[in-house]
Amino acid sequence: MLNTIVKKEALETIVSYRFPLFALICLLLIPLGMSVNQADYGKRVRDYQEQVRLADAAAAALKIQDVMAGTVAIKGFRRPAPLSVFTQGFESTLPRYYEFTQDGFKPGESVGGGESILSVQGQVDFVFLVQMVVSLIALLFASDMISGEKEAGTLRAMLSNRLPRDTLLAGKIGGGFLALWIPFLFAFLIGAALLLLGAFPLFGGDTPARVATIFLASSFFVLTYFVIGIAVSASTAKARTSLVAILILWAAFQLIIPKMSDMAARLIHPVRTETEISLQKSLLVRSLDLETAKELGRQYDLIFGGASPGTADDEKSPERKKWDPIRDGIQQRAREQKSRQLAAIDETYLQEKRRQLNLALNLSLVSPSAAFARFSADVCGTGELERGKYLDAVRSHQNTLETELFSKVKRTLMIHGGGGTSMSFTAMPVDTSKLPKFAITPASLAETFKADGRSIFSLAFWLIVPFGFAYFKFVKYDVR
Amino acid sequence: MIPANPILKADDLSKRYEDGVLALDHLNLSVRAGEVYCLLGANGAGKTTTINLFLNFIPPTTGTCFINGIDVTKDPLEAKKHVAFVSENVMLYGNFTARQNLDFFAKLGGKSGLTRNDYYRVMRRVSLQEKAFEQRVKNFSKGMRQKLGISIAIIKDAPAILLDEPTSGLDPKAAEEFQEILSELKNEGKAILMSTHDIFRAKDIGDRVGIMKEGRLVMERTREELQTGDLVKIYIDYMKSEPLAV
Repeated sequence: MLNTIVKKEALETIVSYRFPLFALICLLLIPLGMSVNQADYGKRVRDYQEQVRLADAAAAALKIQDVMAGTVAIKGFRRPAPLSVFTQGFESTLPRYYEFTQDGFKPGESVGGGESILSVQGQVDFVFLVQMVVSLIALLFASDMISGEKEAGTLRAMLSNRLPRDTLLAGKIGGGFLALWIPFLFAFLIGAALLLLGAFPLFGGDTPARVATIFLASSFFVLTYFVIGIAVSASTAKARTSLVAILILWAAFQLIIPKMSDMAARLIHPVRTETEISLQKSLLVRSLDLETAKELGRQYDLIFGGASPGTADDEKSPERKKWDPIRDGIQQRAREQKSRQLAAIDETYLQEKRRQLNLALNLSLVSPSAAFARFSADVCGTGELERGKYLDAVRSHQNTLETELFSKVKRTLMIHGGGGTSMSFTAMPVDTSKLPKFAITPASLAETFKADGRSIFSLAFWLIVPFGFAYFKFVKYDVR
Repeated sequence: MIPANPILKADDLSKRYEDGVLALDHLNLSVRAGEVYCLLGANGAGKTTTINLFLNFIPPTTGTCFINGIDVTKDPLEAKKHVAFVSENVMLYGNFTARQNLDFFAKLGGKSGLTRNDYYRVMRRVSLQEKAFEQRVKNFSKGMRQKLGISIAIIKDAPAILLDEPTSGLDPKAAEEFQEILSELKNEGKAILMSTHDIFRAKDIGDRVGIMKEGRLVMERTREELQTGDLVKIYIDYMKSEPLAV
């Protein structure tokens, strides 16, 4: 019996006027989106390779004096994510590189700098199409699957037979979804074939598993929307009422909830701007450097105040032997204090941001679309997880450079009792060509699943609850 | 000779809807194999509610209905195996052809393994034009849809047939053809319960005729009893009479 219903629903969907439109949209837009994004990805990779080559050459030619003068920054570039052909995520907003200096790191420009105003509506990529277009079509197809039959009276004709209502419901979902899924599958396969033709590295590393995950997640997402549509259809008596309810739901899930979540989180947990934090850090650094310079000057004056000229340069003089450990001690304490206080500012800022982000995320997960977008972007290496990994890599690289390069250069600024200042530099030899390369450790697929537990839960929730609701409404429905 | 055991039986059947409306009030009726029972009554008299209760579309407030001895409320799926249903506006899938509709409903009715010729034979039997067999039904006239509806009932081959105002809106020729098919089905031993507004057709085809008013069966006459009485006058008299006491 289930087979009969599945076949009938699939056939009814296929012979409807809407189906060719849907198939055309899928078969045209999905491969086209993938193809265009692949070309864009290729361009970004070429840019990246060229910039890395130039940065490597600059690093090899780097002189320790440049570091001492603080005129040259070392750059760490992020390689474009190959799977950004499926979803752009943060790809165009993440900095292409970070600059590392003795005073810390700062982000470089992002890829999206040259895009048109139209791009703020979202990039037309596979995930965007699934999220905005396929989901709406799935809802529209499902909208009259039950209410339409109630209205037309065919439900009475069917239920006058030995047909359990749960079988009918399952058959409607199975058949209707199958009819949508097949063109969707073909469109995806055509898109993948075009990627292969364009020499996209589709079979490298864990890429096949990730691509399969994206497709399965997309199918699951479309099914979720289809079941939501069925639930609305089961609880309304007229197809037109279903349609209105479905459009409102779609707008809420796609546009209102994700945007409102962000706004609510900003209102509830406001976060200072990066400029404010940067200013706070600069002020702190300046104030600590000033304190240190004064302390060094005071100690220097105490030790060398009565000594004959040239004593400070004589490494064997008793004053110099006393001065060196005192100076090193003051500088060491100052470094530690600076590092501790800067880390505290960073940590507080991060906590504020994390709190805001978590709230926005938790609120947005009320929408299956937000959950799907987040999960897909993380699988593709263009999401929140990648942004975190990028920042972790930047911090770690800064620490490495601190040890390997910046600590080899010592600047000693002193402010003496009379208000006069003096500065001295000491530098140890560094082979800059052997400096470690900047690299981001990508999140594994298992890590992605773990990090996106809430998104997966949200998607599962929106599949199970509407199904339960549809089942309850349909089984209890009085056929009149 | 009509066998004694009823195929369709309503036993003290009542239905009160959630809004408090009493649609059916302690109905008792039975239809035997080879018998046509016509239910007459104005709109809202309870005819369609009776059919809906037999099909378990709605649960009864009190009482029970049986199809082929099976309690519809207790075992609705089993009961539905033994009944076919044709509604006033036969509802079919417009984008499917006549044969595809017949195939789908035959399978729902538990008939599998039927060939294209089996479907054609049934459609020929109800005099549906040959060229319409493989045409989409969305352009079918009401008469053609009704023929296809009765084809669905025939192919299910259930012992009981429920008809909800099947001739309403049909032209005289189509109604006549429909009546002929019903006579054949009756002669095959089907128990037929038909709700209708058509007094003349009820008198022609009905072995028994019941008149419903405000959810009650207020009169029941056999074909023999109707030979001597004027059904039109009886019906109008009942309709004009004072509202029934609750």
